[in-house]
Amino acid sequence: MVALTINGYSYLVDAPPDTPLLWIIREELRLAGTKYGCGIGLCGSCTVHVNGEAVRSCMVQAGDVEGTSITTIEGLHYADSHPVQQAWVEMQVPQCGYCQSGQIMQAAALIAANPAPSRDEIVEAMDGNLCRCATYSSIVGAVERAAEIAGSEA
Amino acid sequence: MSTTDTQLSRRDFMVRSMATGSGLALGIGFTTGAIPGAHAATEAAEAFTPSIWFTMMPNGHTTVHVVKSEMGQHIGTALAQIVADELEVDWQRVTLDYPEGSAENFAVYGLAYTVNSGSVTTEFDRLSRSGAAGRIALVEAGAALLGTNVEDAVAANSRVTDSVSGRSIAYSEILSQTTIERRFAYPDDFRDIPRKDPADYKIIGQSMPAHDIPSKTNGSARYGIDVFIPNMAYGALVLPRARYGAKALSVDDTKAQSIPGYIQAVTVDDSFGKCTGWVVAIAETFPAAMNAAKALEVEWDAGPHGDVSLEGLLTEYRALQADPEMGAPWVDQGDVDGSLANADEVLEAEYTTDMVVHATMEPLNATVHQVGDTWHVHTGTQSTSFARMTLTAYLAHFLGQPAEEIKVVVHQRVLGGGFGGKQDYDEILAAAYCSHQIARPVKLIQTRETTFATSFPRTPTLHKLRGAIQGGAFTAMEHDIVCGYMGPRFSVGKAYGSDWLQLDADDGSGRDIDQWSIGGSDHWYTLDNHRVRAINHDQTTWAVQASALRTVSNSYNYFVVESFLDEVAHRLGRDPLDLRLSMLTGEGGSRGIPNAGYEPGTGSDYYMDRLWISLPWPAENSWIPYESATVGGAKRLANVLRVAAGKAGYGKRMPKNHGMGLAVSAAEERQSPTWVAGVAEVAVDPESGEIDLQKLTIAMDMGIAINPVNAVAQIKGAALWGASQVLSERLTVKDGAFEQHNFDTYLPIRLSQVPEIDVEIVESGNHPSGVGEPSSTVVAPAVANAVFNAVGVRMRHMPITADAVKAAIQAT
Repeated sequence: MVALTINGYSYLVDAPPDTPLLWIIREELRLAGTKYGCGIGLCGSCTVHVNGEAVRSCMVQAGDVEGTSITTIEGLHYADSHPVQQAWVEMQVPQCGYCQSGQIMQAAALIAANPAPSRDEIVEAMDGNLCRCATYSSIVGAVERAAEIAGSEA
Repeated sequence: MSTTDTQLSRRDFMVRSMATGSGLALGIGFTTGAIPGAHAATEAAEAFTPSIWFTMMPNGHTTVHVVKSEMGQHIGTALAQIVADELEVDWQRVTLDYPEGSAENFAVYGLAYTVNSGSVTTEFDRLSRSGAAGRIALVEAGAALLGTNVEDAVAANSRVTDSVSGRSIAYSEILSQTTIERRFAYPDDFRDIPRKDPADYKIIGQSMPAHDIPSKTNGSARYGIDVFIPNMAYGALVLPRARYGAKALSVDDTKAQSIPGYIQAVTVDDSFGKCTGWVVAIAETFPAAMNAAKALEVEWDAGPHGDVSLEGLLTEYRALQADPEMGAPWVDQGDVDGSLANADEVLEAEYTTDMVVHATMEPLNATVHQVGDTWHVHTGTQSTSFARMTLTAYLAHFLGQPAEEIKVVVHQRVLGGGFGGKQDYDEILAAAYCSHQIARPVKLIQTRETTFATSFPRTPTLHKLRGAIQGGAFTAMEHDIVCGYMGPRFSVGKAYGSDWLQLDADDGSGRDIDQWSIGGSDHWYTLDNHRVRAINHDQTTWAVQASALRTVSNSYNYFVVESFLDEVAHRLGRDPLDLRLSMLTGEGGSRGIPNAGYEPGTGSDYYMDRLWISLPWPAENSWIPYESATVGGAKRLANVLRVAAGKAGYGKRMPKNHGMGLAVSAAEERQSPTWVAGVAEVAVDPESGEIDLQKLTIAMDMGIAINPVNAVAQIKGAALWGASQVLSERLTVKDGAFEQHNFDTYLPIRLSQVPEIDVEIVESGNHPSGVGEPSSTVVAPAVANAVFNAVGVRMRHMPITADAVKAAIQAT
């Protein structure tokens, strides 16, 4: 049994504690917005927040994050209107969209920690998130726009 | 429904309002009898089958029915824009739906297949005509209700207005107050439907937000991997011993037995020629299935391709190329032999390209279950039609039942990337087999590792080129291509005695050609003497399961043609831009086909024609008047080349070890070109050989940009796909298996490697063509040409690695 707090809800999950958090989120709790991409922490599709920090949920054992506050794409904003989500729609970032939950969670963690990231800081923070459609050109601009929106909302 | 149905011609295209649960709706489509080759059950009943392409409800909502796959190109939005503009409907009230892949829908919609950057190219004509047909019917009905002349009535924004009195009536009111039954004789009336002048477009050419984007920012978009069926079990594949042809002789699951949740191991029936050597571990959870797959001990027969290696294939390629009897001419113009014999100088070069693979972010997966007599498939596929046909044939094969008695419905999901990699259905077959074995729904998820191991890559290729130079002019070009054709593999039905899909590269004339593997070599340059010899290496086709990958053969053939053209230019002492423009005259065979109708069987069109008509789909859909995408021919290529070169500042002074290179391409196929030119700017470190791709400039003439913001996004994404291929992606085969299994060794481009990209859309107003792929084809040759201009070494292998550049520099 693993006790997890995800998006403000408490879950008791019947799974071995060494189960990767990703599979509990996706297949047990069916918060399917968090995606499986590589299973070795190299693509970022499975990115969630643990206590506000972006982590690769495929690399985290569920037992190790008991007692933390976990946030998935579904819980990022109550109305799906987090500044990053707004910017992603405004800039029409997603193509196939499969990696975008991870991209958005990564970007949200970045601007929470660094409200006005430079271009280089954005590239550094986002470089671990693969996008096979190569929406990269849009992503940099959208992170900048998200920071701007967050600033105006603050 | 009216009794006049049976009096209608078999070839009527109908706009008709009909009763629905919520009132009257406007449907559009054919009388069912007008669809030769339709499913027998529906053909028997001569009835109006509405809802091809769009339906308008009495509340004014219009639903556009999209039979194309959403895999990143936002195609539903673009197709809806085409319908909505001609229909004069309020864009805010347009929604999309995606018909499932069933026999009944196949009879109505035809083949659902999303490939070749072809959706807009092939659908524009009939979608715009059907939208216009709907508008004409509504204007006539509205004019009658307003008591005015049809000539005085105009439609805009879901209303018909009497331009004399100014009175107007909403489409929804028309549908509520009267019935519509407007017929257009097919094909003549349908073809003559007047359409808008591009200058009058209101929705086409606007960057409407894509319908599918919001769901892709909040986690709610449902991909194949996100399907949950009550009581389903999970399947994970054991890494097969070889890519193709291995046999699992025995499976020992002693160790797997101790994994909680493990159910059983299933050796998939592979006698159909698909899923060879597939052993699937079934468990209650996916982690348990993955662990069990690793714990299974399988005894293998490596099969006929178990010793295949890249080096071995290339050795055989060279032997085939050296034999003049091998292969067949794909292009054969003028007197190539004479020109080469009489040349002052013959320039020779060998080019090779490695395998690359789709590596879609969503690993391959399928969920299959049987309910009553129907097999339900949930997945994201590039063809619900072929997925259904393939599974039906497979089920018939292993169940020993007649195919006619097997019912399959494919529930289409969003695709987490396609790129040609989701049109092979193996996981669907395996999930169905496992589901049958355990009598439960099975969700088969391929891990990233098995996704790589069972992928369908682009074939390795070898090219031998000879260019004749005489009197200071480039007079002839000979291009031999050796590769594994992908076409024959798609005829798996033929190879394994099933009749579901039989494509044949050989039309009986001895011309053993696979357009998908050779296309692009038939370039648009005016060159009197030009020959392309196509040589198939059959074992490659099967051993690596050669397949289509974004732009198919254009990706390697343009790399080769455009690199070689630069070699010729440098040898002639001419600027590559100047030489290209002198050869892009748009004369003779490169003039493009005027708006005179599609003429199958001519030149390189013949294969596509044979391909399409060999498919069991409604004949109406075989009317593909997209030849007009070629209007203007090579002159449009010259135009975009001038634009790209100008924007990039081609010819400007460059720092040491910096260079600019250019290339053009007319991907995808000869009859569906998108005209594109690219300029790459690189800096090369002569010590390490590292290429720093600093800037790409792309100019593209796709005729009409349906959605400019999306078009630019597609062009940029495709350009980076090309950059990724030329700089870092490489799949290799050894002992019959692929050597790269994850993103630690297979290296797609990342954000930090992205160059500045400058895109210029050139709208010539001609028939629109696709934007999702073509720009990728100019990047590799532009980079190779830029590297030459930077450091003076000609790189004739793709990818161009730093080590290779360094070695080439040291060799000079």
